[in-house]
Amino acid sequence: MAAFRRGRRRGPGERLAFATLSAVAAFALAATAQTLVLPVPSGVLPPEVPADNPPTAAKVELGKKLYFDTRISTDGTVACVTCHDPRKGFADPRGKPTSAGVGGALGTRNAPTVLNAAFIASQFWDGRATTLEEQAVQPLVNSIEHGFANQAAVLAKLKTLGDYPSLFQAAFGSQEISTQRVGQAIASFERTLLSLDAPIDRFLAGDAKAISVSAQRGWELFNTKARCNTCHGRIDVLPLFTDDLFHNIGVGVKHIDFPAVARRAAAAVEAGKSIDELALGSAEASELGRFLVTREQKDMGSFKTPQLRNVALTAPYMHDGSEATLLAVIEFYDRGGNDNPFLDGGMRPLALTDQEKADLVALMETFTSSDLARFAELEKLAPKLAPK
Amino acid sequence: MKATLVSGSLLLGTIALGIFVVSASDSSDALRTRRALVGAEDEWASRAVWACDQRKLVVVEGVRPDQKIPPERAQLVADVLMDLMRFCNEEITVRIGTNQMMTVAANGKVYENYVPGGPLPIVKASFGEPTEREKSIWKAELDKLVAEGDRLFHSDEIGGNGVACAMCHPNASNTHPETYPKFQTQLKKVAMLRDMVNWCILNPLEGKELAPDDPKMRALEAYILAQRRGKPLDAGKH
Amino acid sequence: MYRNDMTRKQIERAFAERSAADQRLLQSLQNCDRRHFLRTSLKFAGMAAAASLVPSHAFQLVNVAHAAEGADPGVAFRFAYVSDSHLYARGMTHRFARAAVKAVEDVNALDPQPDFVLFGGDLAQLGRADELAFGQQILKDLKAPVRMMVGEHDWYLDLGEKWKEMFGPDHYSFDHKGIHFVVLNSVVEKDFWTAKGYTPEQRMAIVSGLDDSRQSSFEVGEPQRAWLKQDLAKIDKKTPIIVFSHSPLYKLYKPWNFWTDDAEQVQAILKPFQTVSVIHGHTHQLLTNRIGNIQFHGLLSTAWPWPYAPEGLPAYTVQMFRPDPFNQFDGCGDGSVDVLAKGRVNKHYNFWSRNPRQVTALELAGKSLPGGGYQGPSY
Repeated sequence: MAAFRRGRRRGPGERLAFATLSAVAAFALAATAQTLVLPVPSGVLPPEVPADNPPTAAKVELGKKLYFDTRISTDGTVACVTCHDPRKGFADPRGKPTSAGVGGALGTRNAPTVLNAAFIASQFWDGRATTLEEQAVQPLVNSIEHGFANQAAVLAKLKTLGDYPSLFQAAFGSQEISTQRVGQAIASFERTLLSLDAPIDRFLAGDAKAISVSAQRGWELFNTKARCNTCHGRIDVLPLFTDDLFHNIGVGVKHIDFPAVARRAAAAVEAGKSIDELALGSAEASELGRFLVTREQKDMGSFKTPQLRNVALTAPYMHDGSEATLLAVIEFYDRGGNDNPFLDGGMRPLALTDQEKADLVALMETFTSSDLARFAELEKLAPKLAPK
Repeated sequence: MKATLVSGSLLLGTIALGIFVVSASDSSDALRTRRALVGAEDEWASRAVWACDQRKLVVVEGVRPDQKIPPERAQLVADVLMDLMRFCNEEITVRIGTNQMMTVAANGKVYENYVPGGPLPIVKASFGEPTEREKSIWKAELDKLVAEGDRLFHSDEIGGNGVACAMCHPNASNTHPETYPKFQTQLKKVAMLRDMVNWCILNPLEGKELAPDDPKMRALEAYILAQRRGKPLDAGKH
Repeated sequence: MYRNDMTRKQIERAFAERSAADQRLLQSLQNCDRRHFLRTSLKFAGMAAAASLVPSHAFQLVNVAHAAEGADPGVAFRFAYVSDSHLYARGMTHRFARAAVKAVEDVNALDPQPDFVLFGGDLAQLGRADELAFGQQILKDLKAPVRMMVGEHDWYLDLGEKWKEMFGPDHYSFDHKGIHFVVLNSVVEKDFWTAKGYTPEQRMAIVSGLDDSRQSSFEVGEPQRAWLKQDLAKIDKKTPIIVFSHSPLYKLYKPWNFWTDDAEQVQAILKPFQTVSVIHGHTHQLLTNRIGNIQFHGLLSTAWPWPYAPEGLPAYTVQMFRPDPFNQFDGCGDGSVDVLAKGRVNKHYNFWSRNPRQVTALELAGKSLPGGGYQGPSY
């Protein structure tokens, strides 16, 4: 498993073959309830797995079925795949800035990619879920997403679908369908959606030809003048290009009166509205970001630093999808973000030249995985996309 | 301490080998014997390894100068050199035969059957430790570099916005050079002190990074390290 | 329960009539260990903030061990502060200028507005006329009236000529709502420049180096002490006194001039008064001390944070964790001071990029040191 050991050169073909082989080997443990080995390259810290949910082939199968099942929504059109589609880097394929759920209800936030989400310390733009298990079940009861009134309604629906009891039996040892198990199954499936083999990784392992000269300049800028690396740095043992922290960079902040909005949102929470509902249903509450979760002043308007793997596939960008292209993102940072009373002190204008901006865009294109063909089988399970 | 070590081995040598060695500082003898062990210039057929003090030499028979020494013999070479460092300022040559038997030449004398750690009745040559004069010259040179670093550390010429290093780090406080290398969260990688110095120049000071061997960088490092004399090394401490 | 049109007094009264849930939470704050306390106090602060108990920029963490214990002294009035801006005259995009403007915006956003704003000293970096003018221009945008205090960076280029011309005397006093305020120039230095023939620029450069030992130690000096004695002679001993001073008015760390040479003498002049608080700048960090009956509070800088001194840190100070240099605002900020009915002060630190902190008169006056006299490692 020396695929990513530094200093040892391997050809891209060899690397791809090796990665595929590991993935196939992992899936080959199909018929047993033996704990799966997740396809993690050597030298990389594996995703954290809760002690009560070790991955097994049966759980992955169940999770996969749930993930693609549009019947688990009030109007039969929404599944996880709707916003997290393998054909679009596991992000939203419909190209709008934010995602829509049942009945076309438009939310406030841009769906992040599920690929490699298992490596990230928290889920959602405001980190309100600390595990994949917690994350997977929240959209089910959000009126903007899957639309169910509560988890009981979700389970009631699932129980009417005849194909599930046997899958739950195989995965968990009994036919009982519970919210916890639903979350655990989907999380187990998502933990197999890992891919850390992109041209940038090969370049950093010593293959000087793996990325273009422009991208190499981009990498230099990324770590110096453009100041990307402090939040989006690539750590060898966890190469996700995120610091897992929350920062206010001023996206969507235009003229928002933070204290007034905070008061109104807090009143809503007191009146019983869930943070999940507020985050997606109220444009102004959504802008509070992490503050909605922690209610700490330092988190006002802060959002999670997203990972950058496959970023070229997951346009548009930022928590509200307000930047349509990678170049637009670079220009946002070049300006120093949008000033507001809580702007992170690390933001400042960069004075990048046009060439430097192009180099950074070229760099980010090298973050796209070379082994996405592994997920071809999943693409077949995705529903037909509505014509544009 | 060195004196006791030397006299200790001298005593051991006397007892063990029954040879009484007279202290000799005849360098031409040393050279002749060294040559004999190394082999004449045009028959330079063996791999020679110098210790860092340029005074200890190990010649490995059977390995050509352009060849790598095989691991076990290389380990033996290292063991020999490290062992010989107890004879601080001596010029010593050791020839390791293909049968691993070792011959030592020092101060014009030859000693057979040496093993690392074993007795070697060499008496210190006379040119000894650095003199006080030498040490004061070296200190003056160091102080000059540290003073230059002090000047740069406190000046606004390093950065581009008038901020000096000393503004956040009076007396180089909170620089903690003894904790490097460590993962530096601002760089998202393991950094050495000079990496962090450069990062600070580029970021809070909005200046241009220095090349690692730039005299200014060397001066800054010298100043910072000099402020933390006596602090124990603690790589990776956060 | 709380409405946006309530006055501050109404909100506080409503808060005093707490809901059952609040009451339970306050109950849990008492007699709990430190970790549990921090967790519940955060929840409490969130609730308080959510209940719009406190206005605008000040979502304050309650840092007091026993919130429900002891009478709420009641806040008589509030003043805000902006301090240690260290401005170069290099335009509005310079990081120090951005920071000073940010502080002004923070103070202007306070609702209700403070009674006045204290400027804590070191307006300029090198005492130049253009720097002082630049600072004056930025501070002009403050809506509330401003009280100026001088720092060493303002003074030693021309020994205060420009400062006095622009901002008035370097030491003065005034009364406000029953409190007697005294503003000192506590950065007086014995002449170290004439003998060495230093130019004004050299003198200023030396003084501007915190760790430059060629300068003298700060002092208030005999003339000012005499003035102080005479100024306080007419004040009743029960009248609360608040002293504004740039340097700490006690002896913390001499090599960095976190120091006042005649501190004991100045403290002796203040000792007869029942309630004395000293608000000082210069140290660019959260700093708290209590000596006898005098409570000392440091101000944050807008420009950059200092590390804590290697020794001499008061046991009353709960250190802020060392700042992140990537974030130019970390460890910096502004804040406000609540002057309580009896004349003591609660000090609010409005940290940028961190949660706000509060150091209250109640905890300082307590017999035991807050947090068990926590002393983190000096860095």
